[in-house]
Amino acid sequence: MNKWFSSIGLFVACLLVIGCGGRESDRGDGTPENSNDDKITIALLPKLKGIAYFTSCAEGAQQAADELDNVELIYNGPTTASADKQAQMIDKWRLQGVDVIAVAANDPAVLSESLKKAQDAGITVITWDADAQAEDRSFFVNQATAEAIGSGMVDTMANDLGGPDAAGDVAIISATATAANQNEWMKHMKTRLASYPNLNLVATKFPGEDQNAAFQDSQDLIKKYPNLKGIFGISSVSFPGAAEAVKQAGKTGEILVTGLSTPNDMQPYVKGGEVKTVVLWNTQDLGYLTVYAAAAIRSGELKQGATEFTAGRLGKKLISGDQIMLGDILLFTKENIDQFDF
Amino acid sequence: MKYRREASLIVLVGALSFLATLFDASFVPANAIDILINSIPTMIISCGVMLVIITGEIDISVGSLLGLLAATLALLSSTAEPGLGIHPYLAIAIVLTVGTLIGLGTGCLVVYGRVPSIIATLGLLIALDGAQDWLMGGGDIKHFPQELRYLGTGTTIPINLILTILVVAGTGLLCHKTALGRRIYAVGSNPSAARLAGISVTTTKLFVFALTGMLTAIAAILWVAKLGNVSTSTGAGLELKVVTCVVVGGVSIRGGRGRILGVVLAVILITMIRTVLNFMDLGSEAVKWQRAIEGVMILVAVTSDHFTQRNQPGGKS
Repeated sequence: MNKWFSSIGLFVACLLVIGCGGRESDRGDGTPENSNDDKITIALLPKLKGIAYFTSCAEGAQQAADELDNVELIYNGPTTASADKQAQMIDKWRLQGVDVIAVAANDPAVLSESLKKAQDAGITVITWDADAQAEDRSFFVNQATAEAIGSGMVDTMANDLGGPDAAGDVAIISATATAANQNEWMKHMKTRLASYPNLNLVATKFPGEDQNAAFQDSQDLIKKYPNLKGIFGISSVSFPGAAEAVKQAGKTGEILVTGLSTPNDMQPYVKGGEVKTVVLWNTQDLGYLTVYAAAAIRSGELKQGATEFTAGRLGKKLISGDQIMLGDILLFTKENIDQFDF
Repeated sequence: MKYRREASLIVLVGALSFLATLFDASFVPANAIDILINSIPTMIISCGVMLVIITGEIDISVGSLLGLLAATLALLSSTAEPGLGIHPYLAIAIVLTVGTLIGLGTGCLVVYGRVPSIIATLGLLIALDGAQDWLMGGGDIKHFPQELRYLGTGTTIPINLILTILVVAGTGLLCHKTALGRRIYAVGSNPSAARLAGISVTTTKLFVFALTGMLTAIAAILWVAKLGNVSTSTGAGLELKVVTCVVVGGVSIRGGRGRILGVVLAVILITMIRTVLNFMDLGSEAVKWQRAIEGVMILVAVTSDHFTQRNQPGGKS
């Protein structure tokens, strides 16, 4: 029932947004070239809205918008991870004449045309969370580099298994063999594993998006490698799949699972002991940094070539080329996981 | 020889077990039960789809249907946002009803709408998947009550396996021992003769589609109970696996012929390939091997079906 009410609520909200947009575009269809005394309107587009991950990003974004008194924030996105719907929203915002569009891209190629048109119309385009094609945006707010994620997961696992001398077999359960993010992370994980000579990577599995297969792969690994001490579940399917397999095999505490996830999703396994540490970045800070960067780029404070940039309470953040780095990963453990609700 | 397909499947299962035993002496005792448990969703749905194919139709919407029903169960029973947290038994009853009704609806589309079942269920495959995405809103749903999880993780007695055996036995009895079963075969092997013999082709087809919907609901319930996680990808691709198992199990894709034993063996065979490859140390290439092996099995099954029918004077070719 709640679903229906929220759908109706959404529909009304959409009507309101469209209504406001109409009035805004009536006021003037030109793009505000020099808007020092005007408010900067920032449209923040998640991959999809309504899920905990992006909602917590939006909370951080709203904090930043409240701190910066010249910023007006619009947060809206499709209800499924659809690039076509994102393109439609970008086109709509272009016609409304917003100042900045910040996109977490579902598909760089599909969004390319809409983003180019927005740039041609004088709108500042940046990306966050998931990048678009480099020529279609000015900056990318990068939540964590593949290297930070890859070595972060290995360091976390080694630490949980007893520090630099951690010993035993470990395995990786990925997504599909062609998943670009996962392959990039695994490259850095393997490099990092070399600095723990007693951790032995015995297998890498690709169950795809199939939960049953991820479970089966984990179950088989647990039986095949009696000295298995750790499993990296590096997709949203394989992380809970591996934790569940460890639990059902009665190996809780003997085999640790780690991976990337939002804290709410893995909370039962952290409490249960199958997972000691969950790796992620601070999602609120990601939204916060994106809004600060968007405002600074629009006002001309932040230009290409800069190497660092001060973002409110986050302090100085490094810029590498055209990527603004959020920096360190965030670790959730039994001790702190209840402080986060997303 | 009547049981030729079953015999060759037993040989294949035996050969794979032997191969895996070479790598790990305790392969069979350590994995037999787990392979059976991992085969549960495919096994239960294959029972329904087998009957549909015997009547000369096909249902390729079952993967999306399982996903949609799992999402429904998740939303109804999950104790965390966005779940409604209603009592799991009530949620199970609702899911069983919805599954049966959707199956019946599919049947109506085929029987009364006169849409070829491959096209009707292809459309449903996409539509139900879209409905699943819409229901889920993009995130995973976890946090299920213990009464529900117990069905999939009951520690000493594998309740899910017992239920599956009951479903398989029930399907076997229905097929081979009842009048309704004989009607199902009659409709598939010669619809006009069946009609002349006073069998209602319409009712028989509606029944098998509705039954498939209900069995898919049971599979969805046991899926959630075992894995405790529902995502937008839940069920994706399962329809292909099910049709593969049914066809490899010796059920004629043209209807009228097929036995439950062959299907059960085929499900075990296809499920165990993954575990055997996991135990054989083929490295990360194993996944690509598995896809290739499954594909070859479909081809072998379908072509051998064709040849044996052509060589039999009484066969319908």
